Amino acid sequence: MLIPCPHCGTRPVEEFTFLGDAAPTRPTTNDPSSMEAWYEYVYLRNNPRGTIDEYAHHSGGCRAWLVVQRNTETHEVYGAVTARAFASRKEAVAKGEQA
Amino acid sequence: MTERTFNRVSPLQDVAVQGRFGADRGAVGVSFTVRHPMSIITVIARAGQGAATAEALKGYDAQWAGPDQWFVLAEGRGEGALYRELKSKLSGLASVSDQSHGRVIIRIAGTKARAVLAKGTPVDLHADVFPAGKSALTQMAHVGVHLTRVDADTYDLSVFRGFSESFWEWITEQAEEFGYQVI
Ligand SMILES: [Zn+2]
Repeated sequence: MLIPCPHCGTRPVEEFTFLGDAAPTRPTTNDPSSMEAWYEYVYLRNNPRGTIDEYAHHSGGCRAWLVVQRNTETHEVYGAVTARAFASRKEAVAKGEQA
Repeated sequence: MTERTFNRVSPLQDVAVQGRFGADRGAVGVSFTVRHPMSIITVIARAGQGAATAEALKGYDAQWAGPDQWFVLAEGRGEGALYRELKSKLSGLASVSDQSHGRVIIRIAGTKARAVLAKGTPVDLHADVFPAGKSALTQMAHVGVHLTRVDADTYDLSVFRGFSESFWEWITEQAEEFGYQVI
């Protein structure tokens, strides 16, 4: 499996350490009323058949945190962006939904 | 108080024995040199200061070492001199750390250098995409390597000091089929 690191170019999966699903969003408050959201963030994961965004650390390369989009069924890798770019995109989407 | 001085000893001093090894006919395929002693400084730009740091590093031997990160190298500088210079020059722009004793730079040169490296790294070393002056972070034989192309047939391999002996054994073994020389 080859992963297109935005910093290093195409590299084999062996150079990366995967953390897991990038979909859950960390709650921004510790308020007791947010405990349900924390429970979901910490423990609950979907197990999608198809496209998934996952955190990956380029531990054997530039040491940057990335989000790799791949297909769990076909193993096709669609692309990789920096975790920072992914986070701001997610934030923009959340803001758009609120508005 | 007396000033303390010490001689820096390369961790490969007793391992990188000079001579010719491996295939013993014709010209050697590659030669190895341990670049020692070197000043090796890590520079990591603060958030949003990548371009300003890159600008301030103009004129230095600064090699890309990750997003907004560099290794700045120098030969023949006094102990800690380059570190102190960059620390004050980049104040407010970047974090600076002296890795001179923490890393070892092995230089591999020769017509078979690319063939030797290709046994260990997935990085495409074709000159079109990996020209002289370009650096990559990769792994060879499970060891993290900072790889820099110096010129068409010369590369520098920077590894953590603690891995340098094992890395040396691996890379010289890869060069045996071509014949190699340790200078
Ligand atoms: Zn990378």
